[in-house]
Amino acid sequence: MEVGILGGGRWGQALGHLVKTAGHEPFVAIADEGPPDGFRWTDQPREVAEACDLLLVAVSGSQVREAIRATEPSPGNRIVVAGRGLEPSTGTPLTEVVRQECDAVRIGALGGPAPADEILHGGIGAGVVASAFEEVRELAIRALNSRQYRLYETEDALGVQMAAASMPVLAAMLGLADSMGDARIGVRALVMARGLAELGRLATAHGADQEMLYGLAGMGELYAVHARPGARYFEAGKALSEQSNVPGPWRLARALLRMGHAKQVELPLTEALVQVLDGASPSTIARQLLRRGWESANQAD
Amino acid sequence: MSRTNHALFRPQPESKWVRSVVRRTDNRLRDMDLDALQSLLEDARYSEKRRLERDDASAAEVEAMQRLSNALVRGTRTQQIDAALHVVGSWVSEIHGNFNPRVYGIATNLIPQALTALLSEKPRGLGGWRTWDLSISRRLKIEGEIDWIKELSEEATLILAPTHVSNMDSPLIGMALYEAGLPPFVYGAGLNLFSNPLLGWWLRRLGAYTVDRRKKAQLYKDTLKDYSVICLREGLHSLFFPGGTRCRSGAIETHLKKGLLGTGLQAWQENLATIEHRAPTATMADGRWPEVYVIPCTLSYQLVLEAPTLISDHLAEEGKQRYIINDDEFARPAEVAGFASRVLDLDSAVVCHFGAPMDVLGQEVPRDARVRVQEMRKRRRYVTNRAGAVEWDAQRDRVYTSDLASALTKAYHKNATVLSTHLVCRVLWDALSESMESTDVFRLVRSDQRTRTFERSQILRRLHRAMTAVQEGTDSGLFRSNLPSSAHDVLELAIDRFARFHRTRDVVADGRQVSIGDPRLCLYYRNRVSTIDMGA
Repeated sequence: MEVGILGGGRWGQALGHLVKTAGHEPFVAIADEGPPDGFRWTDQPREVAEACDLLLVAVSGSQVREAIRATEPSPGNRIVVAGRGLEPSTGTPLTEVVRQECDAVRIGALGGPAPADEILHGGIGAGVVASAFEEVRELAIRALNSRQYRLYETEDALGVQMAAASMPVLAAMLGLADSMGDARIGVRALVMARGLAELGRLATAHGADQEMLYGLAGMGELYAVHARPGARYFEAGKALSEQSNVPGPWRLARALLRMGHAKQVELPLTEALVQVLDGASPSTIARQLLRRGWESANQAD
Repeated sequence: MSRTNHALFRPQPESKWVRSVVRRTDNRLRDMDLDALQSLLEDARYSEKRRLERDDASAAEVEAMQRLSNALVRGTRTQQIDAALHVVGSWVSEIHGNFNPRVYGIATNLIPQALTALLSEKPRGLGGWRTWDLSISRRLKIEGEIDWIKELSEEATLILAPTHVSNMDSPLIGMALYEAGLPPFVYGAGLNLFSNPLLGWWLRRLGAYTVDRRKKAQLYKDTLKDYSVICLREGLHSLFFPGGTRCRSGAIETHLKKGLLGTGLQAWQENLATIEHRAPTATMADGRWPEVYVIPCTLSYQLVLEAPTLISDHLAEEGKQRYIINDDEFARPAEVAGFASRVLDLDSAVVCHFGAPMDVLGQEVPRDARVRVQEMRKRRRYVTNRAGAVEWDAQRDRVYTSDLASALTKAYHKNATVLSTHLVCRVLWDALSESMESTDVFRLVRSDQRTRTFERSQILRRLHRAMTAVQEGTDSGLFRSNLPSSAHDVLELAIDRFARFHRTRDVVADGRQVSIGDPRLCLYYRNRVSTIDMGA
C-alpha cells in the first residue's frame, strides 16, 4: 500500500519510517526544509492525494489548513491528522479544519506519545487512531502497525484531539509549577490532578469522552512531553516565571480557554496560565487559585 | 419531464413489489449466520405474537405466524427462511400503495379547492360569495427553493424530509407540493388512517403506502426499508418524517431516526452499481441520474391542533409508551373541522419552507447544472473504489446517514419561521421563570394564576427586546421570522390566534394585564423558539 504523508519534517519522517517498517511505501509532500532523505517525494501535493487512498497529515496544527488546500484531497481519500489536535488560532479540531478545506469526509486523528527522534532510532512506541469511520481506523492500523509501533483505536476523534491539544498546555503548567520554590512537588501534583479534572470537564462539555485524557493521547502524551529532561513544553512553562516572551503552547492555551468560555466551563488553571502569559505574577495567581479553592471547595470534583 | 411523466404515473403492480422485497429479504437472510437469523426470526415471532394477542388478527396473519413458529421449533434453515418470506410477502401486500393517475388527476383538480373551502369561513351575502378567496397561497405560505427542487426532480430522485408537528402535515405538504408545481411523492401513512375503507382507497391511490407502527419486529422494519429503497430505485420521489412521530414538546427536532433516512444512501449506491462499469456520467436505463437528493422541509404553525395532547404527553413522559396516539384532537372530526375553519383560514396560518437540497451525505448540491454533473462524478468516490465499483460498508453508511441527519436538523432550525404565537409564549415563559426564580418546568407549569399574570407594559418591553433579538437572528440567517412590525401588534395577533381555537387559552389579556392561561400550552409554543438567544 502506498501511504501519503503531508509534511516532511521530523514527525513526518518518523511516520514515514513507521510506514516503511510496516511494509508499505510512503509518498511524501510538503517540507519546509526540502525533500527528506530516503522517501519518495514530490513538490506537487496533489500527486500524493491522487496516488494514495490514505493520507497522514504531519504538519503543525497551524499549517494543516494550508497543506490541505494545496493537496486538494478528493472524496475517495481517507485522511488521518497526526497533529496537536486543535488549530491554534481558532481552536477548531484539526479533523474539522480538513473537512472545511476539502471534499473528503472520512477523516481521523492520530494521538499518543511517539517522540520522533526515538521512533527514527528504532525505539518502540504506541498511539491511538480515532475516527467515526472503521475503515479509516483499519487503514491507519494497516499502515502503521509493526513490530516497532502499536496503534490502538477509538471512535472519539474529538476526545483524542482535545487530549492532544491539552497535554502541551498541562506540561507548561507543570513547568510553571516547578518554578514555585520549595513546594514544587506538591504544586506539580496539584496541578496535574486538577489540570486533568478541568480539561476533562471541558472535553465532556464539548461532547468528547474525558476518558481520552487518561489514555495514550492524554496521560501517555503528557508523560512524553514533560518527563524527559529538557522537555520543550515543560521548560517553556518554567521559563515563563521569569520572562513572558518564551515560545510555548500559548495559542493552544488561549484556544482551550475560549472553548471553556463557549460552554461556560471554568478552567482555573488554564486561565491562570493565560494570566501569567499576560503579565500577572505567578505567585499572586497561585494565591488567588488557593483562595478560590476554599471558596468553591464544596463544588470540587 | 412534466408532472404526469413522473415514474409514479407508470403502473406499479403489487406482485412486482412483493417479488422485489421478498427477493431482497431472501438474499439478506441467506447471508446471515444461523444465530443472527434465528435471533431475527424469534424477535419477529415474539413481537408479532404479542401484537396479535392485543389486536384483531386476520386468519391469514395467525396462520403465517404459526407457520413461522413451527419452522423455528422443528424446521430446517431453509424452511425457517421460507416461512419468514411468507410473512414478509403478506406485509408487502399490506404496505404497497396503488397510485392511480386518474384519481390523482381528479384529486389535484378538486381537493385543493374543496380543502380550501373547508378551511375557510363561509362568506356572508351575495357579494361575499362572489369575492370568496379560495387560494391556498394566502393560508399556506409556501417558501424556499421551489425552482431548484423542480429542476432536480426531473433529473434525479428526491426524498422530502419534513419536520413533524401535526397530523395535518401530510395533507398540507400535499397541497404545498401541488401548489408549487412539484411532482407527487409517495409517503408512508399510519395503518389507522386506512381503517376507513373510503379514506384508505383514496390514500392508496394518492401515493400513500401503509406503515403499521404497532409492528415492532426488526424484520418488519427491514421490510419497510426495502420497500423504500425499491421506491427510490424506481424513481419515485418519497416523503419521510425523519423525526418519526410528531414532536411532543413543540420544539424543532434535534434527533432524527436514521432507518428510513438511510434508504436514500442505499438506493443511490444500488443505482451506481448498475452503471459503475460505464462512463462516469452515465445515466440509468430510464435516463435519470442515479443521484438521490434530500429536501429539508420545515413547517411552522401559528397554532397546532393537537398541542394540548402532545404537550401533556411530553410532560407525562409518556411519549415513548404512547408512540401512536389514537385519541388526540385529530381523532375528533368536529375538532379538526373547527380548527380548519377557524385557524387555517387565517393569513399565513402555516408556513411551509422547502430548504436547499442536499445529497445523501448531507452535503450541499451545486445549483448550477454543469457544476452538478462534475460534482456528481467526484461524489461517487464516497462509496466507490478507484475502479468505480461500489464498496459496500454498512458502518461507513451509518456515519454518512448520521451526517445527513445532522445536516437536516441544522436546516430545520435555519428554515423555521418564528411566528407571533411562539414569541409571545417565549416572552411570557421567560417572565414566569424569572419571577419564580426557577427553570424547573414542572414548578412553572404548576404555578398559580396570580404568579402567571404580568403587567402588559412589562410584557411589551420584553417583547420589544425579543423582537430585536429575532431580527438579528433572522438577519444572520439563523432562522426566519414572520412578525408584525410592533410589539403591540405581535401581542395582539398572538392573543387573537390563541382565542380562536384551544379550549384553554394559552394567553389571555385583561386590560393592563396579560396572563398565561394554560402554562402547558404556553410551554409548547415557547419550546419552538427556546433555543433563540434573547440576550440578557
